[in-house]
Amino acid sequence: MKLILEQVRETRGDWQFSADATFLPGIHLVTGRVGSGKSTLAGIAAGMLSPGSGRVLREGISSGTLSLQYPEYHVTGATLAKEAASYGVSPEGALENAGLSGRGEDDPFILSRGELKRFHLSCLSLRRWDLLVLDEPFSALDCRGKKRECERIPALSSGIVLVCTHEQQHLPRTDFLWEMRDGNLHALGKVPDALPFWQTAPKTVRTLVSQGCVPANLTDRDLEEALCRMRD
Amino acid sequence: MAGDPRMIQIGDLSCRTLDIPDLIIPPGSTALIGPNGSGKTTLLRLLAGLISPDRGTITIGGSVPGSCRVGFVNEYPDRNALFSRVADEIAAPLRFARFPCTEVSRKAEACAEDAGLSHLINRRLHTLSGGEKALVALLAATIHRPDVLILDEFDSHLDEQTLDAAEQVIRASGPGYIVRCTQNMDVAGRSGTVIALFDGRIRVSGRPGEVFSRLADTCYVPFGWGVLR
Repeated sequence: MKLILEQVRETRGDWQFSADATFLPGIHLVTGRVGSGKSTLAGIAAGMLSPGSGRVLREGISSGTLSLQYPEYHVTGATLAKEAASYGVSPEGALENAGLSGRGEDDPFILSRGELKRFHLSCLSLRRWDLLVLDEPFSALDCRGKKRECERIPALSSGIVLVCTHEQQHLPRTDFLWEMRDGNLHALGKVPDALPFWQTAPKTVRTLVSQGCVPANLTDRDLEEALCRMRD
Repeated sequence: MAGDPRMIQIGDLSCRTLDIPDLIIPPGSTALIGPNGSGKTTLLRLLAGLISPDRGTITIGGSVPGSCRVGFVNEYPDRNALFSRVADEIAAPLRFARFPCTEVSRKAEACAEDAGLSHLINRRLHTLSGGEKALVALLAATIHRPDVLILDEFDSHLDEQTLDAAEQVIRASGPGYIVRCTQNMDVAGRSGTVIALFDGRIRVSGRPGEVFSRLADTCYVPFGWGVLR
């Protein structure tokens, strides 16, 4: 299974996007500054945007989806139950996973954005995807929600998962690290080897790496272990 | 302190699930933290004067919410937007305040330039990234120098460097009160006051260190809080 972006280019006014990359099965963390092209990459990778030039090849990928940054963009149902059904999943399961049991008749827009995000991710989690592109999956979630999603993301797909985010505190176990820099996608490599080259690394990671206490990965547990090493 | 007119004072407040018998928020920067659905947005909307409480009172520096100049950044930045072009959106508060047209344009351009967003000024809002939309919403909220600036999870759209730049915009706009809710505990830790809301009630409020100490058995603390302290 492979997702290949072959000389993909997109231009919007003065801004240019460029990506040449092969995504293999595993969890790919894509970071970068605001406006650097993360959401454009997410849209192109998921097939929601057509690039101006280049090719996107999906080898062995038979199912895929894009989770948008703003969960309200996904809403098509007048109730949470209908919304879950629109994903083709059990409303009861989706509500229970999101901690919203018994609220199937509620209007999705009375939820807080964090609750709506949690519900959307819960709906996604009840299906299996060869390609799953998550654009800012942690945005608006509280710390418990972020931790839960970090644990759940590895189980969402045995295929390719792109996590595009600027989350600084809670991150999932990551196989490959990428960075968008001024519209250009850079492959930094496998984690943890890639960590010293990560320009938009969270402050904690930067501190640990600079102190020679490179974490084994990016989960809370990995960072705490490295932090303990640094303290000792 | 309870009678100090410089404070935000809340008494016997009830609104939806929110229940606050008594709260005083000093001038400066205040962060609301807590789980999703705990009432943070409801409290922010009450302070902005966008909704009225079912019961109780709120005064901001002695005035009721809505009678002072409020800047508000919605947790859904798109929902605040009134115009399709970035320049028009940033300039909107000045236009509504009937500033002269030439002054409006000049101030909007200067505002975008100061924030490093000149390159976006002629873009359509719908073409912006999520973080860029949040920054435009911030400029629109601050261009008229609000007395009270309300930020609803604004930082969740921004990377660390952009957030630092946004903080400069916030400080430069000079509001007497900045009240934000955030899930970034490092951001909360840089505030003068932190209020932790759980299930519509205040579990603890005070200086960041005091609040985080009380929440040490939760994840509502900066990373490494339990390891390094």
